[in-house]
Amino acid sequence: MSDFTTPQFDHPPRPMAQRVGAILWPSFFAAGVATMVFFAFVDPLALRDMTFPELAVSRELGYTIGFFAFWSATAASSLFTWLLLRPASRFNRALPPD
Amino acid sequence: MKRQIPLDVIDNGSNSLYVSERKVYPRDVSGPLQNLRIAAVVWLLGMFYVFPWLRWDGRQAVLFDLPARKFHVFGLTFWPQDFLFLALLLIIAALALFFFTALAGRLWCGYACPQTVWTEVFLWMERWTEGDRHKRMKLDAAPWSRDKLLRKGAKHALWLVFALWTGFTFVGFFTPITDLSARLVPFAWGGWETFWVLFYALATWGNAGFLREQVCKYMCPYARFQSAMFDRNTLIIAYDPMRGEPRGPRQRGLGSVLERGRGLLDKVRAYEFVYRAGGHAAAGDAMAQARAEAGLSTDAAFTASLGQPLQRPAPEVAGDCIDCTMCVQVCPTGIDIRNGLQYDCIACGACIDACDDVMLKMGYPKGLIRYSTQNAIDGKPTRVLRPRILVYGTILLLLVVGWSWGVGGRSELIAEVLRDRNALYRTAGDGRIENVYTLKLINKTDRAQSYRVEIESGAGIALAGGPQVVQTEAQQVLSLPLVVTAPASTRGRQALSFRIDSTDGTSSETVDSSFFGPLQ
Repeated sequence: MSDFTTPQFDHPPRPMAQRVGAILWPSFFAAGVATMVFFAFVDPLALRDMTFPELAVSRELGYTIGFFAFWSATAASSLFTWLLLRPASRFNRALPPD
Repeated sequence: MKRQIPLDVIDNGSNSLYVSERKVYPRDVSGPLQNLRIAAVVWLLGMFYVFPWLRWDGRQAVLFDLPARKFHVFGLTFWPQDFLFLALLLIIAALALFFFTALAGRLWCGYACPQTVWTEVFLWMERWTEGDRHKRMKLDAAPWSRDKLLRKGAKHALWLVFALWTGFTFVGFFTPITDLSARLVPFAWGGWETFWVLFYALATWGNAGFLREQVCKYMCPYARFQSAMFDRNTLIIAYDPMRGEPRGPRQRGLGSVLERGRGLLDKVRAYEFVYRAGGHAAAGDAMAQARAEAGLSTDAAFTASLGQPLQRPAPEVAGDCIDCTMCVQVCPTGIDIRNGLQYDCIACGACIDACDDVMLKMGYPKGLIRYSTQNAIDGKPTRVLRPRILVYGTILLLLVVGWSWGVGGRSELIAEVLRDRNALYRTAGDGRIENVYTLKLINKTDRAQSYRVEIESGAGIALAGGPQVVQTEAQQVLSLPLVVTAPASTRGRQALSFRIDSTDGTSSETVDSSFFGPLQ
């Protein structure tokens, strides 16, 4: 049986800037690297012709869409990691009253 | 003081960050919910292992033909252009998850999740070779011997064969499985087929044999979101502390709380007993909530008083929980459900079956742990039809109807037109302006078709050689170069559209494009 007299270590919530920063910044960095590597080999115009040839997508717009697409994917992954690393006590609560 | 139970509860108050994972040895359990679980395992794994072998119209009934970029699901064929339906299907699946979770808790986790289902089968194999819980614990603690080697070896041999068969079946959804099995002896699989069979087998073996409940506790996002879908009217696996507390051993022949006329405790005392017994965060929260509802504070003085042991309750006060810890021993995630709703609970109901069995032996009524709602446990009425259920249900119904209607009414013809990228236009010998296009036609029907291709335009623009008739095989993708000519006087951009009609009149498509002439 656990001894309830000694409180278990439970990390206090971190500041909002730390939480948001730890999700957005590493993902931003990863997305930047991925964008550079990807577009070093793939021309956005060639990609457009393969996918949506009827849309007037310029190279600049292609790079921009590519970067934000990468960033949304990497940020989603960072968010997922944050969620899984939160201590159990953040989730194990009684159901709120009606 | 309470007698210490010689049992290591896996759960350690659930809020320590760095603990080495202790192995959970789920005890064998039987009962109606376990039977339901076995039925779910047989049904779901049956679908997985049997579907690739079924035939439909002379082809494999369920085949995700990646090389041909076509998914066959019984009578339906999906093309890359049908991606929208796949996306919609995923949204429907997510919404169905919300709906059923709000209604009846984590049914998915307990009965349908592949992680649960395969773990269950791997546990069966572990039981056949190593025995039930106490035998497995003893075997693991024992030094290596011939018996241990044989038992562990047999377990892993069974696991490995089953995992390889699983990997083979998985690849059989992508490569025709009869062909794949024919190429097994003599071995003639391609490199990627071999890789994916082995990779999927490895994942099955690792997830179902070793990681097990850790996937649910540490890797699954759904568990973390449960509080967003649960409310007090959601069906959950719940222990009734008002009836069960104070828990503990008792003299033989002591009747249940009902027979003795003790009845149910008040919430404040009951939840305090629960918290004192385990010190669990969820129980502490429930206690604080019960106290707040009763107008009592949970201040520092009260918290300090929790450090003082209670006097042992008189025998006639004892609740119906005999603290046999069966509910903990059968739990596949190793938690103590008596601490209250926890995100680690996969709602398999093993503790219900185990506890009902104990209650039966004690001569007490069943249902100390039961499928119930928080409102029902707290003696309040349960409301099944509530706004959340109605909203989820309505959206779900609309999406399902829309999806079926969309899939049923898909066009049987896809046409795309690509302009030649190399030259905007060219001038023919007779001075006429020509543009070159590639017409991509996809005949999605299961029979050969012929199509008539023509141009609709006001500026005298026409196909060189007039309207064309094209033959396609069943489910063929056809690329057709087309030359379009216009009078020599054509200048700048002109709108035109390609019109494609099947000659039997069943389908037609119009594709808009542009024609370019010299600017001046």
